[in-house]
Amino acid sequence: MAGWMGRILRVDLTSGTVKEEPFVREIWEKFLGGRGYGAKVLWDELPAGLDPLSPDNRLVFAVGPLTGTTSATSGRYSVSFKSPLTGTISDANSGGKFGVIFKKAGLDALIVQGRAPKPVYLVISPQGVEIKDASDLWGKNVHETTDILLEREDKRGSVACIGPAGENLVLFSAIMNDKDRALARAGGGAVMGSKNLKAIVASGTLRVEIADRDRMKFVTYEANKWINAHPITSKGLPEFGTAMLVNLMNEAGIFPSYNYQYNQFEHAEDVSGETIAEKILVKKTGCWGCIIQCTRKTKTSRDEGEGPEYESNWSLGPDCGIHDIEVIAEANYECNRLGIDTISAGGTIACAMEMTERGYYDAGIRFGEKEKLIDYLHKIAYRDGIGDELAEGSKRFAEKHGHPELSMTVKGLELPAYDPRGAQGQGLAYATTNRGGCHLRGGFVIGRELLGVPRMIDRFSPVGKGSHTAILADFGAAIDSMVVCRFSTFALSEIVWGRLLTAVTGVQYEPEDVMEVGERIFNLERMFNIREGFSRKDDTLPKRLLEEPAPLGPAKGHVVKLDQMLDEYYAFRGWDKNGVPKPETLKRLGLEECLDG
Amino acid sequence: MASEKYRELMDEFKKIGRAVFEIGLNNSHSGNMSVRVGDRILITRRGSMLGFLKDSDIIETGYEHNDAGISLASTEVNVHRAIYHGTSALAVLHTHPVTATALSFVEDEIVPIDVEGSYYLRKIPIVEFEFGTGSKEMEKVLPQVLKNYKIVMIKGHGAFAIGDFLEEAFHYSHMLESIAQIIWRVRAMGVDSKQFERPYFHQW
Repeated sequence: MAGWMGRILRVDLTSGTVKEEPFVREIWEKFLGGRGYGAKVLWDELPAGLDPLSPDNRLVFAVGPLTGTTSATSGRYSVSFKSPLTGTISDANSGGKFGVIFKKAGLDALIVQGRAPKPVYLVISPQGVEIKDASDLWGKNVHETTDILLEREDKRGSVACIGPAGENLVLFSAIMNDKDRALARAGGGAVMGSKNLKAIVASGTLRVEIADRDRMKFVTYEANKWINAHPITSKGLPEFGTAMLVNLMNEAGIFPSYNYQYNQFEHAEDVSGETIAEKILVKKTGCWGCIIQCTRKTKTSRDEGEGPEYESNWSLGPDCGIHDIEVIAEANYECNRLGIDTISAGGTIACAMEMTERGYYDAGIRFGEKEKLIDYLHKIAYRDGIGDELAEGSKRFAEKHGHPELSMTVKGLELPAYDPRGAQGQGLAYATTNRGGCHLRGGFVIGRELLGVPRMIDRFSPVGKGSHTAILADFGAAIDSMVVCRFSTFALSEIVWGRLLTAVTGVQYEPEDVMEVGERIFNLERMFNIREGFSRKDDTLPKRLLEEPAPLGPAKGHVVKLDQMLDEYYAFRGWDKNGVPKPETLKRLGLEECLDG
Repeated sequence: MASEKYRELMDEFKKIGRAVFEIGLNNSHSGNMSVRVGDRILITRRGSMLGFLKDSDIIETGYEHNDAGISLASTEVNVHRAIYHGTSALAVLHTHPVTATALSFVEDEIVPIDVEGSYYLRKIPIVEFEFGTGSKEMEKVLPQVLKNYKIVMIKGHGAFAIGDFLEEAFHYSHMLESIAQIIWRVRAMGVDSKQFERPYFHQW
């Protein structure tokens, strides 16, 4: 079979059994893989109201048809689950090499359910899945676990695992792979921890069959030409990493600081991509087979590791009023070892800082207290003292202490590093993401509003943003299901991806088919959330962004004009006024299974 | 006339319309353009001059259904609507580029030979219709072709381009005419332009 490996395995940790699932080709053609396949499994198998930390939740590890091929940025994989942080459907994806080895082990997907009676890890290979005792690994951090398992199982393999944060069910704990790569958002680590699953080791050298090698060669050549020509993928990201955005966003007045109280940061230069390159960069690297090379290997005077990426740099830095790049980098390294989502960690600590500063509740930490930062990350990971409250995320923490308005979240997920008061479409995207406050799942509208990809649009205007945001979200859903990197979309449109999919799978994917796959996935996720009780009331933003005008810079005086954009967005999508997809929309997308759901 | 809430888009219509006319992609009264916003379509008025658009020349109607605005809308409103239903485009621009139209009589498809044209478009398909203005056949065929390409030539008639913005559709339209002019000028020098085509672009 070309593109897909044709193999899905299901592990039930409660019974300790492994079985092969039928590979229904029609499903994979409709949902591609990765996030799309995960959404399909979760829709089909999870009853409404399920406790995300119960054994019945699923972890759907999945790759896509392009994974492990010569296609640009295809060294990724995805994990889908119901989030313990948000209660929504969620997925996260990650680079490195785990996804490629997973596919070379002969799998398209691994569905994990149940709860092992004691800690275990899985070894996946072309021979199948083995469940092994992980008692000696429980309590070890991500780096230690990875080193031990590579040594024990296969030095050429790859490890995805959780750290102490996942073991202790921190609601924003991450699944980590290849040590420093994170499936960060929405608490996949806690779901893994709740199953007593410490790690998965992938091992294999199988090859992915390509339907049309000549065509693949030609389209890949063209795609790489575009990536090598685009200033963002050929210069900005390779030279400065994602932190290249710091100065750009700060100058535009959409770089939040001090828990989003401000929309610029007076010390932005201290944490910029340029500063990282000058002060702590050791070398540039990248995911398996990637030509962009945006990863930063860095070293401070006390520690070394990877990153920080733009979002981590911001959440652990300016959002907490901290501008010491060494401390930020070290906090980032520690998050990686503990297995914590940096955005939610920083966002939650920033919320606690504002709570303390305003005198609402003394969380023991104030803005700028950099010396306490790593200690607080440990408190969270081990649920020690105040860390036990913070481990529940900023929404629960702020609500518990009577000030929910200080939680900068959407649907309970902490917002990333773009203040939408100066980028209206991004505000709509935040409000409508299926996994909560995320800059990617709802559409990376910053690309159009600030970076001019493919054209610059008026960032302060709400007009037309409903339509733009929807198509970007759909395209993103398809990208996450192939599974390739979002950065590629700066240079490559749906035209190129359609041709690559066609060459790899032999199935004719026209560019508009790619968009329709994405729209189908986005609507299925929406229906999952509706089944869980989410509706228009949840498609909103923190009060601060809707009512408090941005205080600084070019965005000064603006708030997010959400309602107008939301109406247009629903109308564009074929949803009713409450944000529910109409029956004709579901039928058009081939989602008949949702009509009775 | 379109609602005042679409002021910024109406201003965009005037800007692009003027540019399209001034560079000669349309004659005084030819061509039309539209954008999709939510479940509404804004489209130029039937018989309007794209180079001199007024607010009253920009008509608002439904994405799914006709309403009062339809009687004023461009003759090709159904083609625009069909394109929106068949693709994820947010803007459609119909032009009558002279050189590209001339080339459409003698080619089955246009393969750019210049660097920029090759980089962006690689190939522009040409389709032919018995009746090439606002016909049912166009409603059926053009969305199918535009699922796969950003711009298509109608033999002896003109081009339909799509994009997420009017500016993007304008970009492809202008580029098509530049591509055609370069091919034409190379041929005018007595040189076979085909030798400069990259054969694999025919497969794009």
